[in-house]
Amino acid sequence: MAQGLGEFEQLVLLALIRLGDDAYGVAIRNEIERETGRDVTLGAVYTTLLRLEEKRFVASRLGESTPQRGGRRKKYYRPLAAGKRELAASIKALQRMTRGLTPGLELR
Amino acid sequence: MTTSTPPRLALRLLAWRLPEPDREYFVGDLLEAFHDQVAMIGASNARRWFWRETLHAMTASWPRAAMHNDEHPDQKPMTSFVQALRLAFRSLTRAPALTALVIATLSLGIGATTSVFSVARAALFASPPYPASDRLALVYEQDKDGSESNVGYETYLDLSREDRVIESAAAMGGWSPTLNDGAETSRLAGQRVTWQFFDVLGVKPMLGRGFTAEEDRQGADRVVVLGHAVWQARFGADSGIVGRSITINGIPYRVIGVLPPTFESLMAPQAGVWTTLRYNNTLSQACRTCRHLRMVARLDAGIAPAAAEQALDAAHARLKSTWPDAYVDAGTRLISIHEFTVRNTRQAMLALLTGVALVALIACFNAASLLLGRALRRESEFAVRVALGASTNRLSMLLLSEGLIIALASAVLGTLLTMVGVDVLLRLAPDGVPRLSQVRIDGGVLLFAGSLSLFTGLAASVLPALALLRGGISSGIRIGARSFAGVARHRLRGTLVAAEVALAVMLVSGSSLLFSSVTKLLSVDGGFETDHRLTMELGLSGPRYADSGVVFQDWRSTLDRVHAVPGVRAAALASQIPLGGNFDMNGLHPEVRGAGSPAEDPYAQRYAVTTRYFEVMGIPLRSGRLLTESDHDRAPLVILLNEAAASSIFPGGSAIGQRLVMGGQTRTVVGVVGNTVHQSLSDAPDFQVYVPSLQWGEEGGMNLVVQADVPPANVFQALRSAIQGAVPGIAISRVASFDRLKDDATGERRFALALFAGFSAVALVLAAAGLFGVLSATVVERTREIGVRTALGASRGTILAMVVRQGMILTTVGLVVGLFGTWGTTRVIASLLYDVGASDPTVLVVVVVSLVVVALVSSALPAWRASRVDPVIALRDG
Repeated sequence: MAQGLGEFEQLVLLALIRLGDDAYGVAIRNEIERETGRDVTLGAVYTTLLRLEEKRFVASRLGESTPQRGGRRKKYYRPLAAGKRELAASIKALQRMTRGLTPGLELR
Repeated sequence: MTTSTPPRLALRLLAWRLPEPDREYFVGDLLEAFHDQVAMIGASNARRWFWRETLHAMTASWPRAAMHNDEHPDQKPMTSFVQALRLAFRSLTRAPALTALVIATLSLGIGATTSVFSVARAALFASPPYPASDRLALVYEQDKDGSESNVGYETYLDLSREDRVIESAAAMGGWSPTLNDGAETSRLAGQRVTWQFFDVLGVKPMLGRGFTAEEDRQGADRVVVLGHAVWQARFGADSGIVGRSITINGIPYRVIGVLPPTFESLMAPQAGVWTTLRYNNTLSQACRTCRHLRMVARLDAGIAPAAAEQALDAAHARLKSTWPDAYVDAGTRLISIHEFTVRNTRQAMLALLTGVALVALIACFNAASLLLGRALRRESEFAVRVALGASTNRLSMLLLSEGLIIALASAVLGTLLTMVGVDVLLRLAPDGVPRLSQVRIDGGVLLFAGSLSLFTGLAASVLPALALLRGGISSGIRIGARSFAGVARHRLRGTLVAAEVALAVMLVSGSSLLFSSVTKLLSVDGGFETDHRLTMELGLSGPRYADSGVVFQDWRSTLDRVHAVPGVRAAALASQIPLGGNFDMNGLHPEVRGAGSPAEDPYAQRYAVTTRYFEVMGIPLRSGRLLTESDHDRAPLVILLNEAAASSIFPGGSAIGQRLVMGGQTRTVVGVVGNTVHQSLSDAPDFQVYVPSLQWGEEGGMNLVVQADVPPANVFQALRSAIQGAVPGIAISRVASFDRLKDDATGERRFALALFAGFSAVALVLAAAGLFGVLSATVVERTREIGVRTALGASRGTILAMVVRQGMILTTVGLVVGLFGTWGTTRVIASLLYDVGASDPTVLVVVVVSLVVVALVSSALPAWRASRVDPVIALRDG
């Protein structure tokens, strides 16, 4: 609870929620890239996912393989309840801290 | 085309650097994204992108062991032993039937072994319940033939003066007193002992005190010490009993002590009352050749038993030189009280332990082959685990953890079975097994069961683990490819099965040897008839019998009343009977003595009997005549010999009319009768002599023997009231049919037989199950091969022959090894065998044939099924 989530961790968790059943490495990377415009490496995505998994904020399962992947299987992730709670807490904290600062920060 | 593939070197680097479980999906993602990148930014940019991703991934710190995954728990790497245990538990519960079978097999073996162990431990290893019991020993003289002989009173006195060897010593004689407590008259078992007896043993009475030297003098007031059981049963545990007078043999005895409940009378197991011997060396029965006393000694602290025996031998040699006629030149024999207690049962117990250890081994092998079969079926599971990063160490840890769980479960179940098993054993055990009161399930037994389970459980699981590691796991990773490389593993399984067969052969042949031995023993002609015959012990006691005429009178009227009971065909009285447990022996020699010295005179079992004894017992007359009414106390003294005595004492001539000296009287041999057994059914015929009871002197205790027209149980009550009507206050005890006596005489062997039969049944079932399991599993694994053979034109018969041949090879190897082993086991049980060659061929043939049949069925049945499979299906699914 108290440890909080890093910014990139928040992005990854949000991407998982947005992607639903289709959250695997490439899709997560593409989602973050598309929505934030950042150039994200797959390695960064995975180290973050593994860390989240270690904290039991996300869970994974091995999925199907495609020819493009050289027969290698995908690894799908989904957020766990604890992860969602932590994410909500982080966002709420951010919201409270930003309340009333709209003019100066030009958030709109 | 080449430009649209990712850089090979980068892939190589990734494969080298990335941790195994993460590699698959990460590289998969990279490849997938690379294709997108090629489409979006062109091949060369995509390759640059790929390199950037690769270098980034190489430098990133990958959190290892991070895959907490609730959807695929088995992909969790085993980081700790606890995790391994948890995983093993789940893996076991996924195959509940097999796990249950393995645990049941092992706990059966553990339960059986531990039960026998607890009984054997008490019977063989429990130390005698006396303080410093290692210093207690029985002292015997030794006969020329090496057998032990009791000692005479004067010899006891002389030997106990050897105070550099013996701290204290006591002499013991038998005593069967008749106790009359007003309401009831009964025979008890007891001992007459010298006054030091309880001090030598180190036993203190619970109430009152032990004997004093004054109470052991001839003519002293008679005193008695009661055993705890007699005190409770006959005197209502009356704590005021000490100092009171009770009536024994019609004479008042003062109770001076009561023994504690913990006292065990090891040297006279039935004894419940003790009185003083009251001997001195002027009595005729105190002579040196009157060898009717047993001597127990407490050795000096610090002297080794062997040294003590040597010192006593030297003392004995001095006695021999002073009284050359009284001793033979064979020295003494010291037998520790522990040895004395266990020597009759040791062989039987060791045989049982051997048998049960074989069962445990078979159970262990069986469990091992079951687990091995499971391990082989899990080959692809292990392959996946290895692919996901499990090292072979971790796999072994998983298998070991499984073994540990199995061991724990079997230990618990096995201990429960032990509790039942010990109960059953105690209920079945014959009286001869010593120290059964000491049997209990304590820390030692639990430790035994625990280590046995740990050993068997781990052995059963380590074997498969070894097989896996040796065979290598990578072969199984080729999913869909059938492994033909399992030769080593199949060889291990084959070894297990062959070993099981071998052990089963040893056990089954051992028990069938026992079986045929007991059958022969049961059909042994004891030399007398048992059918419709019964016996009881009668005791006359009291001041009324001071006159021997009254004794004879009462015996006569007792016999008359017995003959009048409806259903009684004939009756007789005898001083002792076959299998009755008495040992009346007398030395005797021809009136004209041969070369031998008096010390070498033969001893014979002496029966003082009434005239119809031979008729009642069905003992045949060989020559001369039987006893008649005219052989009374004023007639010429006569004696009958059995064949063994007649042919040995009067070799080459007729014994009839010869004269023999026995007990200082010269008697004429008038008849020769058949031999009977005396102590046990397997006795070699001993010398036996019969004298008319009227010519022997009165005896207050006699055995009534009755031949009835009806089943013995129907006349017991009528006999009892007739006898009590004839002689009020007569003691009646040890009422039994002769069939019962004969049963009891075979009790120990039948006990061993029952256990061995049980073990053998278990062993045979286990071995058969093991054979079937392994052979059929092998065939199932070869379904595809069989399909190929069928498709190539092999006939059903050919395939059947092939499979059966392989099963038979295993069985044959097992049988051959087992037959060699049988040679060893029969040695262990040889002491229990009666008149059966130690390698009875008929028994072995039966064993071999039955196991071969099991093996045939076990391999032919699955082979037949496999040969009926459509080759197409076999090739597709097999």
